Amino acid sequence: MEKPRRDGASSPRNGRQDGDTRRKRKTADISQALSANPVDVATLRRMAISEGGLLTDEIRCQVWPRLLNVAPHLLDQDPETVERENNKDYNQVLLDVQRSLRRFPPGMPDEQREGLQEELIDIILRVLKRNPQLHYYQGYHDIVVTFLLVVGERMATALVEKLSTHHLRDFMDPTMDNTKHILNYLMPIIERVNPEVHDFMQQAEVGTVFALSWLITWFGHVLSDFRHVVRLYDFFLACHPLMPIYFAAVIVLHREEEVLECECDMAMVHHLLSQIPQDLPYETLISRAGDLFVQFPPSELAREAAAHESMAASTFKDFELASTQQRPDSVLRRRRRQKQAALESSTVSPVGAVSQPSTARRFMRLAVMGLTVALGAAALAVVNTALEWAPKLDLFP
Amino acid sequence: MAERDPSAQFGGPFTNSTIPPPRTRIFKIIVIGDSGVGKTCLTYRFCAGKFPEKTEATIGVDFREKLVEIDGESIKIQLWDTAGQERFRKSMVQHYYRNVHAVVFIYDVTNHASFRSLPAWIEECKQHALGSEVPRILVGNKCDLQDSVQVGTDEAQHFADAHCMPLFETSAKSPNSPGTHHNSDHVEAIFMTVAHKLKSQKPLVLSQLPKGSEGTTALTGRIEGDNTAATWGSCGSC
Ligand SMILES: Nc1nc2c(ncn2[C@@H]2O[C@H](COP(=O)(O)OP(=O)(O)O)[C@@H](O)[C@H]2O)c(=O)[nH]1
Ligand SMILES: [Mg+2]
Repeated sequence: MEKPRRDGASSPRNGRQDGDTRRKRKTADISQALSANPVDVATLRRMAISEGGLLTDEIRCQVWPRLLNVAPHLLDQDPETVERENNKDYNQVLLDVQRSLRRFPPGMPDEQREGLQEELIDIILRVLKRNPQLHYYQGYHDIVVTFLLVVGERMATALVEKLSTHHLRDFMDPTMDNTKHILNYLMPIIERVNPEVHDFMQQAEVGTVFALSWLITWFGHVLSDFRHVVRLYDFFLACHPLMPIYFAAVIVLHREEEVLECECDMAMVHHLLSQIPQDLPYETLISRAGDLFVQFPPSELAREAAAHESMAASTFKDFELASTQQRPDSVLRRRRRQKQAALESSTVSPVGAVSQPSTARRFMRLAVMGLTVALGAAALAVVNTALEWAPKLDLFP
Repeated sequence: MAERDPSAQFGGPFTNSTIPPPRTRIFKIIVIGDSGVGKTCLTYRFCAGKFPEKTEATIGVDFREKLVEIDGESIKIQLWDTAGQERFRKSMVQHYYRNVHAVVFIYDVTNHASFRSLPAWIEECKQHALGSEVPRILVGNKCDLQDSVQVGTDEAQHFADAHCMPLFETSAKSPNSPGTHHNSDHVEAIFMTVAHKLKSQKPLVLSQLPKGSEGTTALTGRIEGDNTAATWGSCGSC
């Protein structure tokens, strides 16, 4: 459905009409949700997840800010320019942006591409300067370029800034310890679905670094077709920040036969898995990832993931305990203090759950209903589990 | 996924008369150095035989391999190309230090800062129990950019001697360009030197490969030169 301009030869005529009709209906539903007062974010979320995602970049320009709850007035601000001399990140950013030629459409004239690369550097430096707690990582540029190409410099700055203090926050710590922790969710998910693949990978001691670039670039670094990248961004923007790791697991599981046929050796398995096939059935995998998220929510996997290392508390555990008023940054600061305290007293201090204001609760319920409708799963208990993430991300009005 | 899998194309048929050993030996070599020095380009050049047109930032660890033939034995050389950015090192790259047989340190001859980082890289290796007992070499890359050299051969040689490593200067881009000075090394030869060292763990004795081993790497250049063997063989201080 997302593949535009099918050549017709391969698809029967009425199948195509069907697709066109569905597309038209979806477009209409999206405009309606956008013009509702207040904007119907739950529907937008569902549209972003369901088959085909947000269909066009034009629609993405309108919906992505809504999914991230970026206030429209932020989009009018003139982006300031950041001094490049003596900027601690400039050299690394420049190096990575210069090497990012593949991210731009193949036919684009050099001059235009170079202009965009300059903008890319500006956006990154701007967000980093405004948020000194954030640290640049190689791969961040792959995320930013996706936003730049879809929504343009000004809006990309606002969206990326929001994303960086939320979904990407863990990747932007001074160290990659929390990123490592998130990667630790991968094996427990795989184990739930296919223990044989899990055991095989454990035996090969392949580790999880093959999925690192998938996670921290939302697959922008590894997929060569930009349409696939933006389709995944629709999905991830509408979901829990851990969804990319569920998607990573789904890709591995999709390739279970190849994996099991591979020589049981770290290098061989790492090599096989890090070469991502370019012809993945994205829509199927997306709904599968959503199903797995609902079936095995992060809270259920948290203990196992933590068992992979000494660190007791995880970011997302803390998110679950945080109140709606708190921004993730303050949660992280608190967590650091707790970790410190835990180290000193060698017990993890308990954190009381804070009750949520009822309006926020309603909004998130709607949102997650959207998610579950799209995925065809409805058990109330499951919904409640899936609900937990939404408010802590501060994404709802 | 910086570039299409070069390791898919192995050396070519092994038509040697000798019976191949039952199992191919694997030499695992880790390649480290600052971001941008050319680790990806050098490993790609060795495994795929050419300079990659477009590389991308390496995120985490990439892996390339090549099947070579040394003294009638076919050996798989595995190169682990690592991310240079500091923040990836501790949590991510660690795992890949296991069972490493040799280390290749790379700096960029046109970037003095990348040379000054070398002690930190050497230290990282030591922390993973890779000290002077494993073969280690030092490679200065981008020799083709003759006009912007910031690290002279003398300075680099001095450092290499102090750390008991042989030094090679090369260019992943154009090892034979007129700009490259007369005794710069071929990328293939450099990695093959390491492989030979690993195979023998004795001072190098190189022989010309027999005809018919097309696709495997023929040894040329100055690797037979005594400095290599001497540096590896006789360093009292390390
Ligand atoms: N002139 C020149 N440029 C090189 C050479 N090797 C690498 N480069 C360039 O240096 C940049 C970084 O190379 P890359 O292999 O990605 O570095 P890495 O970060 O160490 O893996 C790229 O733009 C390459 O094209 C070389 O031998 N000569
Ligand atoms: Mg690299």
